Amino acid sequence: MARTGAILKALAAAFRRGQRSLGSVAGNNFFLATLYLLREAGVFIYLLIALVLLFPLSTDPLRKIPASRLALWPLETGERRLLRLLSPWINPVAWLMAGLAVWAARGHFTFGLWATVAGVFVATFLLSDIPFTPGRAVWVHVPQFPGRWNQLVRKNLREIVCTLDFCCALVLSLGGAICRAIHLPLAPEAWLAMTVLVVLALSSYAQCLFGLDGAGGLARYRLLPLAGWEILAAKDVAFLAVAIPLTLPLAPLAGVAASLAALAMGHAPAVNHPRPQSRWRFSTSAGMVFGLLQAGFLTMAASGVYLSSPLYLLPVIALWAASTWNFGRLLEAPAAG
Amino acid sequence: MISARNLTRRFVDLVAVNRITLDVAKGAVCVFLGPNGAGKSTTLKMLTGLLPPTSGSIVVCGLDATANPRELKRRIGVLPEDLGLFDDLTVEEHLSLTGAVYGLDKRETRARAGQLLHALSLEDGRHTFAGACSHGMRKKTAFAMALLPSPRALFLDEPFEAIDPVTSKVMRDMLVAVARHGVTVFLTSHILSVVDQIATQVVMIRKGKIVWDSPPADLPKSLEQHYFDLVEAPLVEDLKWLGPARF
Repeated sequence: MARTGAILKALAAAFRRGQRSLGSVAGNNFFLATLYLLREAGVFIYLLIALVLLFPLSTDPLRKIPASRLALWPLETGERRLLRLLSPWINPVAWLMAGLAVWAARGHFTFGLWATVAGVFVATFLLSDIPFTPGRAVWVHVPQFPGRWNQLVRKNLREIVCTLDFCCALVLSLGGAICRAIHLPLAPEAWLAMTVLVVLALSSYAQCLFGLDGAGGLARYRLLPLAGWEILAAKDVAFLAVAIPLTLPLAPLAGVAASLAALAMGHAPAVNHPRPQSRWRFSTSAGMVFGLLQAGFLTMAASGVYLSSPLYLLPVIALWAASTWNFGRLLEAPAAG
Repeated sequence: MISARNLTRRFVDLVAVNRITLDVAKGAVCVFLGPNGAGKSTTLKMLTGLLPPTSGSIVVCGLDATANPRELKRRIGVLPEDLGLFDDLTVEEHLSLTGAVYGLDKRETRARAGQLLHALSLEDGRHTFAGACSHGMRKKTAFAMALLPSPRALFLDEPFEAIDPVTSKVMRDMLVAVARHGVTVFLTSHILSVVDQIATQVVMIRKGKIVWDSPPADLPKSLEQHYFDLVEAPLVEDLKWLGPARF
């Protein structure tokens, strides 16, 4: 029992540290802007975020112990069974599900709703036990791009699509595409608002473009005989390759303007303060003030292009180019060590 | 080919590398030895332009390493300490990326990559993502990336660690072959038996200072014995908590 207790204690500490990265949602542009602008009206958005968050929250804590280590420990069969039985309760979502079950039994909400949420939890919990190797399966086949940045852009694309920012933007974009397909009578400004929401969902990622490269990746960038602006541009091309198709069913030109504005602002924190990010988590912005500034700027750029003239795209492009060149220069400077 | 003068690197209060001076000739295989924390990797990072020196000068392939970092990168191949691989690219995609950014055409890149993948026994894992590769495979990928653009100087940080004996021999033979073509090889390692077979120059560093620099023929003892004399290994005390020795 003492051995199982010690393992569970260590497991709880490791799981708690791992879940800290979920706090990133609090520093995410999309969440902050929704909270600030929509307040009570944003219930749908909050539900969407909760659903997107439920997946990474529902992992099996026991997988924090490497399988080989667990197999090597001199534990009795009974102790292993106890570990299997108790470890799920380290995850707070398991307690939440139990609480909701009691609530549902008392008739506060339908049993069907509880079963749906619990089903998502159980399915994700079981799926999390399947050994996952980074980059495997889903995103192997990304398109080829012309030029010598090809592999860099493909790598960057694989990185973006394994963030929750992308998942959120995808759900919003699909919602917009369905509205388009069924010819829902919406005010023209609604398309602009949806476009801004999609880019907003991606905008925090623009502030941590190097977050998923890891220390090895950053070292490789410094070894490649490429100008700094080329490395940044390869990041931006991948970002645009995601943002443009997602805003295509909404307001495409406004989407391009908003994306370029998000990138132009995002280069500064991405280069000056590269923060490590986790896969299947929301990206964390450089700070609330900077996040709101970026959100304001990308909204202005999109509104200008959509409501006034497509010519407003030109100053946005110029600003993005200047930002890429300037922060590319900084990126190239050798590390101070 | 590689020349460093009074090279110093400080990290706040720690002097990692202390006024070292060394010269490595074209086509030489220089092995840079020393215990953990002696300053090997810091020196290698400075020579490859990854870390600016606090003071001193570096000339590699006729270029001032601090003044022309991008041009220097075009002329050298590096296997860095942390390998510098992207988890989201496959082994083959890493080689394709290297060929493209060093200006090789696709056909040439494919030909060189094929040869390196075969020689380093990476053919079966060519479509494996670096994030899913074993440490040995990752190291071989980084080694292939260093060789592929046909550099004038090769800098390798512990290339033989975690490598199987057969591939280790292949890598050794490759290094000897490229040196014969005039490529200067500068490598760090802890596997003395391996580097002993390829070195044309032995440099030893201890506590940030060079304590030996000569061709292997000038070593007074075997490389291993001389290394142990210079490094002064601590005495191993009996591990009393294991109980009395029975055998």
